[in-house]
Amino acid sequence: MLDGREYRITVIGAGPAGAAAAISAAAMSMEVDWYDKENRPGGKLNDYHQLFPDRATADQILADFDGRTDAIEIKKHFGTAVNRIETDNRQLILLSDNKIVGSADAVIVATGFDFFDARLKEEFGYGIYDHVITSPDLEKILKTNPEDLRKEGADPVSIAFVHCVGSRDQQAGINYCSRLCCITGIRQAIGIKELFPSCKVVNFYIDIRAFGSGYEELYREAQEKYKIQFIRGRVSEASENQQHRILLKAEDTLMARPLKLTVDWLVLLVGMVPSCTQVQIDNHQCTDQETGFYQPVNVFTGSRIAGLPGIFMAGACGGPMSIPEAIASGRSAAMEAWQYLKDR
Amino acid sequence: MKKYWKDYQKDIAEDNYFYVRSCIRQNFFPGAENLFIDILRNKLGKVVFEDADHTTCTGIGYHTDIVPLETTMTVVARQFALMKEKGFKNLVVSCVTSFGLYSEILDLWKHQPELKKKIAGYLVEATGRIFDEPGNMVHASDILYKYRHEIAAIAKHKLVDKETGEPLKIVDHIGCHYAKTFPERGVGGSEFPQVLTGLINAWGGSTVDYPERRHCCGFGFRNYLVQANRGYSISQSKIKLESMQPYEPDLIVANCPGCAMFLDRWQYTLEETEGSVYGPNDRKIPVVTHEELAGLVLGYDPWEIGLQTHQVPVEEMLDKIGIEYDPDLKYADRQGNLIGNPEMINQQVC
Amino acid sequence: MNKQDLSGLIMADPRYSEACRSCMNCGVCTAICPASGYYDYDPRVIVNLVRESDEETLTDMLSSDLIWYCGQCMSCKPRCPRGNIPGALIQILRAVSINTGLFVHSALGRQQLAIKRSIGHNILETGYCVHPTRVDPETHPEQGPVWAWMSNNADQVYGRFDKGYDKAGPGLLRKISPEALGDLDRIFEVTGCKKLWNTIETESEKHI
Repeated sequence: MLDGREYRITVIGAGPAGAAAAISAAAMSMEVDWYDKENRPGGKLNDYHQLFPDRATADQILADFDGRTDAIEIKKHFGTAVNRIETDNRQLILLSDNKIVGSADAVIVATGFDFFDARLKEEFGYGIYDHVITSPDLEKILKTNPEDLRKEGADPVSIAFVHCVGSRDQQAGINYCSRLCCITGIRQAIGIKELFPSCKVVNFYIDIRAFGSGYEELYREAQEKYKIQFIRGRVSEASENQQHRILLKAEDTLMARPLKLTVDWLVLLVGMVPSCTQVQIDNHQCTDQETGFYQPVNVFTGSRIAGLPGIFMAGACGGPMSIPEAIASGRSAAMEAWQYLKDR
Repeated sequence: MKKYWKDYQKDIAEDNYFYVRSCIRQNFFPGAENLFIDILRNKLGKVVFEDADHTTCTGIGYHTDIVPLETTMTVVARQFALMKEKGFKNLVVSCVTSFGLYSEILDLWKHQPELKKKIAGYLVEATGRIFDEPGNMVHASDILYKYRHEIAAIAKHKLVDKETGEPLKIVDHIGCHYAKTFPERGVGGSEFPQVLTGLINAWGGSTVDYPERRHCCGFGFRNYLVQANRGYSISQSKIKLESMQPYEPDLIVANCPGCAMFLDRWQYTLEETEGSVYGPNDRKIPVVTHEELAGLVLGYDPWEIGLQTHQVPVEEMLDKIGIEYDPDLKYADRQGNLIGNPEMINQQVC
Repeated sequence: MNKQDLSGLIMADPRYSEACRSCMNCGVCTAICPASGYYDYDPRVIVNLVRESDEETLTDMLSSDLIWYCGQCMSCKPRCPRGNIPGALIQILRAVSINTGLFVHSALGRQQLAIKRSIGHNILETGYCVHPTRVDPETHPEQGPVWAWMSNNADQVYGRFDKGYDKAGPGLLRKISPEALGDLDRIFEVTGCKKLWNTIETESEKHI
């Protein structure tokens, strides 16, 4: 309750953006209904081993969220996937598999992202060769069982990372840059070297996009302290030999020479794509025709989805973004929602 | 709804085929095309028409840059015109370079209709003919793929070692111009094409994935046709042969006639020049075309279908499957008389 | 030396808009190119040089061996993340090189004469690119003794598979009719192939 009126707001998604939005909305005395398709909050944070640039563990952030949400009143509806919003006058009706589950005066959509399905880039053999994995696969391994990287008890001799898998790639149908994969590759490469110091680690990149705070410094540290090799050239093709090692073909574009390399593991740095559990809103086309991400009414001035009244977006459902960016975006969406409800 | 290329199936016409022959296949595998026609007509009951007035598509000339784009397009338009004149809509192409060329031309015309109009004008001016684009355009191996189960149902042999019951280990080689240029024109797309693995699996064999599976055989057009450049061509085949060697393949099957010819001949040349041999037990690996593979399982006589024209001997492979043949008739004509001096060949056969 | 607008000629080719868009220099084309593994050749570099549109650079390139290495396999095409086709760009460069006469300045370019006189003449004389009577075992020892037997006994060997060999009517390596060959001849005239062949001959002769 605020000013004697009820402000009912629903937040769809309990990842970093949704958590920040729900916490901020509750702090502004709005009545918050918080949904997530999973039975627990945190979204992809639950699978992350370490974050960048300071190598904090994801658990620390999750604990922070837990602390805050316990302290304020938020109605949690975890295990319910809201996949449709219908507008009825000024009410927003929320449906899950065609069943009405609730209503609200304002909604913040924070449905997040999925990782690009690397099986679509068949030339890398993901899903076919056991030793070709993606960055989220590696993250899970680093978090829960790094022993899995050993082969028959022996440390891996060499591991290669491929940047830009399913990003900036017309063949994959995705022309945008996913922004965070470069720093992920750098951080994971360092993680490998910390586990297996004598393992040769090579990152195959096109451009190193290290835009964030501490990112460029981490890139330099990867080269100088950890002796990770960066070769400028995207891997063109991977295949498997009889020893189940992976053969790569790439060009060292700075040397203008083609090269082949045999490694124990190939890690595909996959980009972010819109979540498959996006929310439909009436019959509106709310997502960008090219990328599939939600579109704000105006990238500079407002985060209402496609100009629809009362419906806001936060986090990676609007495009690839980092966790701090998602958190900031969640808080900002809550503020916009409050402003909207106050004014109507 | 994710779609993976390796699951991709394309539209292949069912019957009433207008068949255009391949320069390379006719020259180097003279039994293959009539075998293909016979299988379609007499084993599968299909209508196959061959127009005596069709010519080369000029693909080899196009890719060696002595036949310019508009000339090639007009010759291809002429092929389409013959097809229209005879009332056919379904084009079946024997050569993979041709198939790639038709695909490229149809795509260019789709994006640049004024170019198509220009070519139509040239064709009328030069020959008085008008053309329609084919309703369906596929490679000959696609037809066998479509009817692979029907062929399996009437097959006399399986691609299996008759002694051990083990499936033969078969390398499938797909011509570059089959699916690399337009993945949507190839069954299974460009990375894991299914057109030949489908045949192998349906007919009892097992497929071999080896690191250089997708590498070009090395024809390279000018890189073979000009004698001075042949090192390129042999080197690419060598890369493939070295890569497949540890997998000990019993057989190689290729849908492009050039690829089949090179993988066959270069094994001979590599043995002569370097002493290298890439098959199991120090033998060379026999190479067959898709229609020859079908012919073998259907029980055709190996010499009738032209396996004697291969440089790498096929007898051991035939023995393994249990296909019978008369060694005395290998280099004979239909009357059983030896042609020329085949003893010269036999001295070199390993 | 030609002072033509090479860049303009290249961009006017109908294939250009598909072949050469923009390059992010990822190198997947060169990584997979059979020619780059055999020759000192880099298709990515070619795309970049073309996009510079510098007449001097283009003149040098079209006068050099560099554009004649590509084996036309098109392995580059399905991989390029920008949708370029280096192998098709090469075809455009070769066409411009021949049409402007620059091809005679490189040893590999000068091979066009031999190809025109073999494959080219085969097409108009027989209707095929390749014919058993025109693949001489002496100059094709790598074809092996079986080919020698086939080529030296062509009538019997090919006749064994099809009585229609070298005869009118459908069949294996049929004799293509004079009418059909006439169609080809007129097509080659009307569409500019004969002009191209004339250029190959006359420029090659001048170079000798």
